[in-house]
Amino acid sequence: MAPDGTAGAAPAVARVAEAAAPSGRAGRLLREGGRQAAAVAISLFGLLAITFFIGRLLPLDPVVAIIGDDAPQSTYDMVFKELGLDRPLWEQFALYVAKVAQGDFGNALNTSNRVADDLRRVFPATVELATVALIISLLLGIPFGVIAAVHRGKLIDHLVRVLGLIGYSAPTFWLGLMGLVVFYAMLGWVGGPGRVGIAYIDLIEPRTGLLLIDSLLENEPEMFWSAVEHIILPASILGYASTAYIARMTRSFMLEQLSQEYVITARVKGLSRARVVWRHAFPNIMVQLVTVIALAYAFLLEGAVLTETVFAWPGFGRYLTLGLLSGDMNVVLACTLLVGLTFIVLNLISDVLYRLLDPRTR
Amino acid sequence: MQFAKKAVLVTAATLALAAAVPSTAAAQSRTPRDTLVMAYNIDAILTMDPAQVGEVVTDEIIRNVCDSLVAYDRQDPSRLVPNLAERWESSEDGLTYTFHLRRGLKHPSGNPVTAQDAAWSIHRVLHLGFGNAAQFTQWGLEKDKVEQQVRALDDHTLQVTVPEPWPINLFMYVFAGRQGFILDRKTIEPHIARRTDGTPDWGNGWLKTNLACIGPFRLARWTANDTVILERQPSWWRGEVPLRRVIIRHVVESAAQRLQLERGDIDIARDLNGEDTAAVDANQNLQLNTTLRHQLYYFGANMQHPILGKDEVRMAMRYLIDYQGLERTTLRYAGKAWNSFAPQGAFGALPPERGVAYRLDLDKAREHLARAGHADGFTVRLIHGTPFPSSDVAQHFQANAAKVGIRVEIEQMASGQLFSRMRDRNYELSFLAWAPGYPDADANATRHVFNPDNRPEARQTMFLSWRASFDRPWFNDMVQRARLERDETKRREMYYEIQERFMREGPFLYTLQSYRQLAMRRDVQGIIHHAFEVSYHGVRKQ
Repeated sequence: MAPDGTAGAAPAVARVAEAAAPSGRAGRLLREGGRQAAAVAISLFGLLAITFFIGRLLPLDPVVAIIGDDAPQSTYDMVFKELGLDRPLWEQFALYVAKVAQGDFGNALNTSNRVADDLRRVFPATVELATVALIISLLLGIPFGVIAAVHRGKLIDHLVRVLGLIGYSAPTFWLGLMGLVVFYAMLGWVGGPGRVGIAYIDLIEPRTGLLLIDSLLENEPEMFWSAVEHIILPASILGYASTAYIARMTRSFMLEQLSQEYVITARVKGLSRARVVWRHAFPNIMVQLVTVIALAYAFLLEGAVLTETVFAWPGFGRYLTLGLLSGDMNVVLACTLLVGLTFIVLNLISDVLYRLLDPRTR
Repeated sequence: MQFAKKAVLVTAATLALAAAVPSTAAAQSRTPRDTLVMAYNIDAILTMDPAQVGEVVTDEIIRNVCDSLVAYDRQDPSRLVPNLAERWESSEDGLTYTFHLRRGLKHPSGNPVTAQDAAWSIHRVLHLGFGNAAQFTQWGLEKDKVEQQVRALDDHTLQVTVPEPWPINLFMYVFAGRQGFILDRKTIEPHIARRTDGTPDWGNGWLKTNLACIGPFRLARWTANDTVILERQPSWWRGEVPLRRVIIRHVVESAAQRLQLERGDIDIARDLNGEDTAAVDANQNLQLNTTLRHQLYYFGANMQHPILGKDEVRMAMRYLIDYQGLERTTLRYAGKAWNSFAPQGAFGALPPERGVAYRLDLDKAREHLARAGHADGFTVRLIHGTPFPSSDVAQHFQANAAKVGIRVEIEQMASGQLFSRMRDRNYELSFLAWAPGYPDADANATRHVFNPDNRPEARQTMFLSWRASFDRPWFNDMVQRARLERDETKRREMYYEIQERFMREGPFLYTLQSYRQLAMRRDVQGIIHHAFEVSYHGVRKQ
């Protein structure tokens, strides 16, 4: 186990190859936990500082975003002061950090709400979309990858590669629109843009913010189906790219395993090919896959601006982009922190899964 | 190979099936009969406070929630008709206006609508000092004196005193805009908060997401970048509203809006591009409802620039745009050619044949360039924003300019950045849109032509003339005289004169006046829209 460096944005990959068992002693665990917490805090602070100072260098004026193009200079000056922009940069940063430490992320200029409230609304929308997208890409990507590895060099392998290439390279924007034209406008199989049908807007008060779950909690099956209808297409489009990624990684992990001697031994023993592949070889790539999946999920959770735009999905990606375009540093900073946290949490989760899946760590 | 063949067959079959289906799906609208569903880009909404609202989309929405003192005539918005004020009069000397409010009106809270509410609503606009305050300050109302200048004589009489005898029609426009709404003071007052410097915020914080006023709908919910929901006000003074709800959904993509409209999942699409608008125009199930707005697209030259500051150079540039061609092709659904600062439909605007004075003429352009001493051309930087049709027009201009030796370097940027550059006079050439606050030539004359103080440190950033460093005494004098001319015929003649001269000397190359397109399902009837408003209260779905 390689416990340090967990706080960075993408250390998970680096850890794939390592596999040392941790000592079970409580004291050491505690120390390790403390060190991890400190590392998390430091990297979040670093993230905050870098984002803050880069943000202040951007040629964007949040004051104009608030007062509009038509206001006199006196109003400009008043709002400039109200936002604290007349203070020295370090003082602004110190004030901001002090507020964040108390859980106050300030107000968003674009929405007039508290940033924390906005995030409670937009982040679940993205979590929901990303999770469904991930499930789709796991259901497709892993079998495709395994099959491609088993039939290496055959037609099916090439087919998976071509589909993967398209998944990587086709612009999401175009794919999304095409998907809408075919599956929504022509065939009517799925719902259109938005998270639910018109009839269900505002029907229930959000609990988790995940409509698929909230609608079931409130016993609104029709709303649930409307939400399913609306999420399936954007999630598929979004999941396509990660399907391609997961399939490719699965394929190469599997190829490595299939060339090992234990696989040949198993075949020689007379076991069926399917049994060798799924029962012997596949479990051995699980550990590596967990890291790949965690990374894919983290990228999905950052929000997908283009998918969200085409499908009118009120998610995290669009929120962050709008904040960025109007120079709204409260939004940009809070979002950056959230993305950082997401990566860290997913890293921790993959660490835990790693221990569970690798028998050598037990 | 077997597999590949099968795959091809399946794909072909799916596509054939898909192509066969659409005609059946698109026939009837699927939204509830008593609900109007509209797809609209509502990114721009920052607040609902009428004292602060400056964006077109929010203005449209709050006009359906709050009634103003006087209203635009539906047929001819340059005329005003009674609304919450049933009549008004001006004193002999033209300095005092008296409004008589309708009796028996009640806010949705049950509080009576009073002249005190009206006075307070105007006071707060001036005290808050956002862009809308300029609608009052330009007529001599002042923050420090407004309590004396605007006051309630009794519950139903509002008196406004101004320092100069303005033409009555001109001054009255201010009460038809959002700054003339009567807010429910008693409901708002408990929500007044203190700002960081200790001064009261006049309810600005609360009104960001709430509204309290008399009108056909109430604001049920605004979820930023997602939805706006309006619900019918049960006892509106002008009668029953047929719609129960209006749902505005935030959809940005033109193609997505069009698909939803064709499917019948929405009733109105608001942000279609040229191609999608043409498709709607050709579709039997849909209708296109077009109005000419007062918004103008224009190129603005910075007069401080050593080359652009020359009248001959700007005259050459006026001949580099194919106004008529753009109007017929790229911008067919976006707007029509117009070269003057007073938009068509405004009082004092030039007659159509005189309002479009230029056309594409490369020879004339070369002639003027030579006269300016730049026969070999020059290089200039053009900045513009993202909304359609900015980049289309910018590239069109760039291509024609290249033919006469002017190299145009284009830079596109987010609107926040663009406005900052304009306010700092930090540009050479820009392409932007501007919409005046009221339908009178005066509205743009005072912002585009008249320049109160051209010194850089004066920072008169709300005057386009200041941003362009355009400062000529004849124009300043004429604009000021025109807005004091109480004889309407004379006033109109004066505007004609200013416009024709400004077309030759001004820093702006007005290109076109924009349309508002409502792409709607056939069954949507009764929507009222003109240059200054879109009203939902009369909408019925047949």
